[in-house]
Amino acid sequence: MKKGLIFDIQRFSVNDGAGIRTTVFLKGCPLHCIWCQNPEGISVNAKLVCFASSCILCGQCAQKGDNAVRIEKKQVVIENDKVKNPDEYESICPAGALRMDSRWYELDELIHILKRDKVFFKYGGGVTLSGGEPFFQNEFSTALLQKLREEGIHTAVETSLYTRPGSIEKALPYIDTLFADFKIYDNDLHKKCTGVDNDIIKKNIKFILQSLYRDNVIIRTPLIPFYTAVPENLQKIAEQIVSWYEHVKYELLNYNPLAAAKYKHVDYDYCFSEKLPMYTAEQMAYFYGILKEAGIIGY
Amino acid sequence: MQNMKMSERIKILKKKMLAQKRYMSVEQALLTTDVYKKNEEKPVIIKRALALQAALEKIEIAVEPEEMIVGNRTRGVRFGVVSPESGGSWIDGELTTLPNRPQDPFQVHAKDIDDYREIIKPYWQDKSLEDILQKRYGRELAAISKVAKINQTDHSQGHICPDCLLWLEKGPAGIKEQAQRLTGGQSLTREQREFYKSVVIVMDGMQTFMLRYSILLKDTARVNGKFASSLEKMADNCENIAKRPPENFHEAVQSLWFLFVVLQMESNASSFSPGRMDRYLYSFYKNDIDNSIISADDALEIIECLWLKFNQIVYMRNAGSAKYFAGFPIGFNIAIGGLDEYGNTAENDLSYLFLKAQEDLGLPQPNLSVRLNKNTAQKLLQYAVKVVSKGSGMPQFFNDEAIIETMMNDLKIEKKDAWDYAIVGCVELTTQGNNLGWSDAAMFNMNKALELAMNHGRCLLTGKQLGPDMGGLERFSSYEELEKAFAAQIDYFLEKMIMACEEVEKGHMALLPSPFLSAVIDNCLANGVDVTAGGAKYNLSGIQIIQAANVADSMAALKQLVYDEKRVSGAEMLNALQNDFNGFEIVRTMAENKVPKYGNDIEWVDNIAAKWAHYFREKLTHYKNCRGGIYHTGMYTVSAHVPMGENVGASPDGRLAGKPLADGGMSPVYGCDKNGPTAVLQSVSRLDNVLTSNGGLLNMKFLPEFFATEEGIEKFSMFLRAFVDLKIPHIQFNVVHREDLLKAQKEPEKYSSLTVRVAGYTAYFTELDRKLQDEIIARTEYSAI
Repeated sequence: MKKGLIFDIQRFSVNDGAGIRTTVFLKGCPLHCIWCQNPEGISVNAKLVCFASSCILCGQCAQKGDNAVRIEKKQVVIENDKVKNPDEYESICPAGALRMDSRWYELDELIHILKRDKVFFKYGGGVTLSGGEPFFQNEFSTALLQKLREEGIHTAVETSLYTRPGSIEKALPYIDTLFADFKIYDNDLHKKCTGVDNDIIKKNIKFILQSLYRDNVIIRTPLIPFYTAVPENLQKIAEQIVSWYEHVKYELLNYNPLAAAKYKHVDYDYCFSEKLPMYTAEQMAYFYGILKEAGIIGY
Repeated sequence: MQNMKMSERIKILKKKMLAQKRYMSVEQALLTTDVYKKNEEKPVIIKRALALQAALEKIEIAVEPEEMIVGNRTRGVRFGVVSPESGGSWIDGELTTLPNRPQDPFQVHAKDIDDYREIIKPYWQDKSLEDILQKRYGRELAAISKVAKINQTDHSQGHICPDCLLWLEKGPAGIKEQAQRLTGGQSLTREQREFYKSVVIVMDGMQTFMLRYSILLKDTARVNGKFASSLEKMADNCENIAKRPPENFHEAVQSLWFLFVVLQMESNASSFSPGRMDRYLYSFYKNDIDNSIISADDALEIIECLWLKFNQIVYMRNAGSAKYFAGFPIGFNIAIGGLDEYGNTAENDLSYLFLKAQEDLGLPQPNLSVRLNKNTAQKLLQYAVKVVSKGSGMPQFFNDEAIIETMMNDLKIEKKDAWDYAIVGCVELTTQGNNLGWSDAAMFNMNKALELAMNHGRCLLTGKQLGPDMGGLERFSSYEELEKAFAAQIDYFLEKMIMACEEVEKGHMALLPSPFLSAVIDNCLANGVDVTAGGAKYNLSGIQIIQAANVADSMAALKQLVYDEKRVSGAEMLNALQNDFNGFEIVRTMAENKVPKYGNDIEWVDNIAAKWAHYFREKLTHYKNCRGGIYHTGMYTVSAHVPMGENVGASPDGRLAGKPLADGGMSPVYGCDKNGPTAVLQSVSRLDNVLTSNGGLLNMKFLPEFFATEEGIEKFSMFLRAFVDLKIPHIQFNVVHREDLLKAQKEPEKYSSLTVRVAGYTAYFTELDRKLQDEIIARTEYSAI
C-alpha cells in the first residue's frame, strides 16, 4: 500500500521542528481531542467541503442532478454520502470553493513534492509528518520516512503515540526527531477529553524513552486551559517521564486560540465557546518552573 | 556592537532634521540662469561648469553646531531644488499645489514664485532639455507612452557610482592639477580642451566650497562654546581636504560627503551612490584605530552623522512622477560585504558599524544593501537579519553568486570590475566609478502590449488604436496565434522605444554635459570625453520589463481556459475584458481560482514569465545605444506598478481594469502566492539572471513575530542561504504589523518616523499617498505558520 491520504502539505513550516520544514498532514486520528487543532484531520474519509468565503453562489454545482449538492438559503449544502464522483464537483465549481478536504498521494508523487524545498532543508530543516495521527497510516508513514532518509532529508514526526508498539518500533530508525504528545496523566480525564485510554500511550512513551533513539524524542504537552494546563497534571507527567529517562526533553506548547475558526467544516464543536487568550511569558515560565521542580533538565 | 549606544548629539541632530519643513528652492536656478545669460556665446560644457562654480561660490550655506559632517546644496535640509536647464515645465502649474499635494509636498515662498515666473521660466522656455525634446519628439513619445514610458526626458541622468577611491586619493586639488596637465597635451580637439577646462573650473569651485565651510565653522566655533572644539576640528578638516587628499577617517568621510553634495548640485539627479564604502574607507578606519586617533564609538558617531546627511538631499518631482517614485527616494545606495578580488568574502568592521548606524537611526537613506555569497559570515548575516527585523525594510540583500557571473558573461564586464559591483538607486546593478549605466532608460509595460494583442491593437480603456491590428482574441484559433500577435505588439513598440531612447540620449549629450561627474568616472578624464558623450568605460542602457507575474498569470489563464480546456471561448473572454468582467463573474472567478499562478513553484506558469522576458531581452540585443553600449533588462518597478496598472484594462488573470500590477518586479501578484515563501523563491529562480542584469526586485513581507526569537532569526538566515543557492539576484523584506500600518493611517502624526519598503527603497509611510498605503497593507503577509 503505497498511497497516503493527506489533508495538507505546508511548506515553510517553522514551528514543527528544526529549521525550515515542509509538514505533511496525514488524515485520520483515533483520538477525538475536544481542543483538536486540526479537526479536519480526524475523520478517516475524504469528503467534499465548500469554502463559503470563495463561493459566488453561481449554482453550477446544484445543476448536476443527483441532488447531493444543493443551494439552500444562500448556502451550499453537501450530502457527502450521496456524492458519487466528488472530483467532478471539484472541477465544476468555477470559484474553487468546492474542494476535497484531502486527497490520496502516491509515495513517489509525495516525495517529488517534498524534495522541492531540499535547498532550504540543507541548512537544518526537513520534513515533518503530522496529522491527524501519522501512525494511523503507519505503513505509508514508515515507507515515507524511509524514503526521506534515503534522500538525505531530515525527518520529524508529531504523534499521539496511540498506536501499536510494533509500528513505532519499525519507524523509529528513520525518525530524526520524534515529538510525542503526553496530554493528560489521569486516565479518566484523558478518556473524557480524547476519547481513548492513555495506557497504550504511556507504554509507548516508556518504550521510546528506553530505546536506542531516546535522545531523538521530545515529549510535548499542548497547554489547554482547565484540561492540560493544570499544575498537578504537568507535574505528574514530568515525574513519570523523568523516571523513565533522566535526560528526557519535555516542552510545552502554548495554547493557540485560532483553532476554533476551523470548526466550521466539521460536525462537532470546539471545547470553548468564548475566546481565551494565549499564556503570557510569565505564565509559561511558571509552567516550566513546575517541570524543573519535577526534575526535567532537557527542554 | 550591540552594546554601542547612539550618542546624544545624533539624537538631537535627527530630531532637528525631521522637524524642519521642506521648501522649494530656486536659489541655484537663479545663479545658473545668470551665468547662462552672461555667457551666451560660450560652449555648453563651459557654461555648465561656470554655473556650478557660481553656485559653489555663492549659494547660502549653514551648519548646525552639533554636526560632525557638514555640507548641503541649500541652506535648509530636504529642500526641493529647481533645475531649469533640464526641465520643470510642471513647476509653474504646480507652484500653488506643491504645498498641499498628497504625495511629497513642499512649501513655497511667495518671492520664489515671482522669481520663477519672471526670471527663470522666461529664460529657459524652449532651451531646457524637456522643452527641446518635447518640440522635437513629443508626439512620438506620447504615442508610445502607454506601453513604453521613457525616462530622463526632463532631468539629468543619475544612477551612477562615482570613483570614490580616486576621489579619496586625489581630492579636488589633485584632479584639478591632472586636468590642467592634460589641457597642455598635444593634438587635443577643441572639445577635449573645453572638457579639461571645465573640469578645472568645477574643481576650483569645489575647493572654494570647502573653504567657505571652513570659514563658517570657525565663525560658529567663536560663538558656540559648547561645541567649539569639534567645530574647529571640522574647520581644519574642510581646509585640509580642499588642499590635499584626506589623511584620516573623519576627513575621508567629510570629503566623500562633499563629493555627493556637489554631484547633486551639478546634476540634481536621482541617485549617486557611494557603493562599497566599507571597502574603500577601511584603510582610513584601520589606521585611525591602530594609532588610537579615534575609537569605534567615534567612528560610529561620524558614520551616523553621514547617515543623517544622506537624508537631507531629496529630489523634487512633479505630482505625476511623485506617484511613480513616492517618498522622494534619492538612492544613496551603499553595498556592504560581498567578495574581494580573490573571491574571499570581504566584510570588515565597517560593515558592522554601517548596519549598527541603520539599526540606530532607521531612516530611509542611505539605501543599505548587503552583498551575500556562499561564504558570507554567519555573524554578518544574522546581524543584518536582526536589523531587518527592526522594521525599516533595510538592509536589502544582493546575491554575488547570481550577479557577478552574469555581468561577465552577458554584459562583457571585466572580472576586476564585476567582482567589485555595487548598486545604484534602488536595485540597479553597476560597476563602480566607470559606468554610465543609464539604468532607467525606459519601462516597458508588457501587460499593455498583451492587452493590445488581444484587442486588435486598441486600448481597452479608451478604445483608441494604439498599436497595429493583428487580430483579436475572438479570432485566434490557437494559443500559438495569440503568442504571435503578442510578439508582434512587443516588436512594434520596442523599436519605437529604442528610437525615443536615442533622442533622449542625444538631448543629454547636447545640453547636459557634466564635467564634475565626468572627472570621477573612469576613462572620461584620460580621454577628455564627457560622460554623456560616451566617455565612461562601460555604457549600458537598462529597460525594465513590467510585469512578468501578470503576463504569466494572464497567459496561463488564456492557455488553460480558452485553448486547452475550452471552458471559455476567445470571444467570451474578450467580451469579459471589454466589460471589465461586469456580467462575467463566472469567467473572472475561474481565471482567479482555477488557473495556477506565478509564484507557487508551478513550472509551466513560471516558465511563461521567463519566456516572454527572454523574448523581450533577445530583441533588445539587436540594438546599440548612442554611446556605443548595449541595451539590457531589469525587472523592478519602483512604485510604478500602481500607475502602470492604472493604464491597463481588465486582464485575463481576473485583475480588474486600472488595478495595480504585481509589485517588485520578480514578485508574484499579491495574495496569489499561496504556497508560501519557499515556493516564491523557487518560482523566482526560474527567471534567468540574464533577464535581471540591470537589476531585479523581489519583495516579501513578514510579520515581526517571525523574528521575535533568536531561533526565528536563525531560520531567516537559513532562508537567505537558500536564496543565495538559488541564485536569485535580490530580495528585500517589509517587517511590520498590519495593525501598525492601519493605525498610522488614522494617526499619522504619531507615526511620522515609521518607514516601510515601498519598492527598491524605503520611505516614510505617513508621507505616502493613501492609495499606495492601502496597497502596501494589502500585500501578502507571512507570519510563522
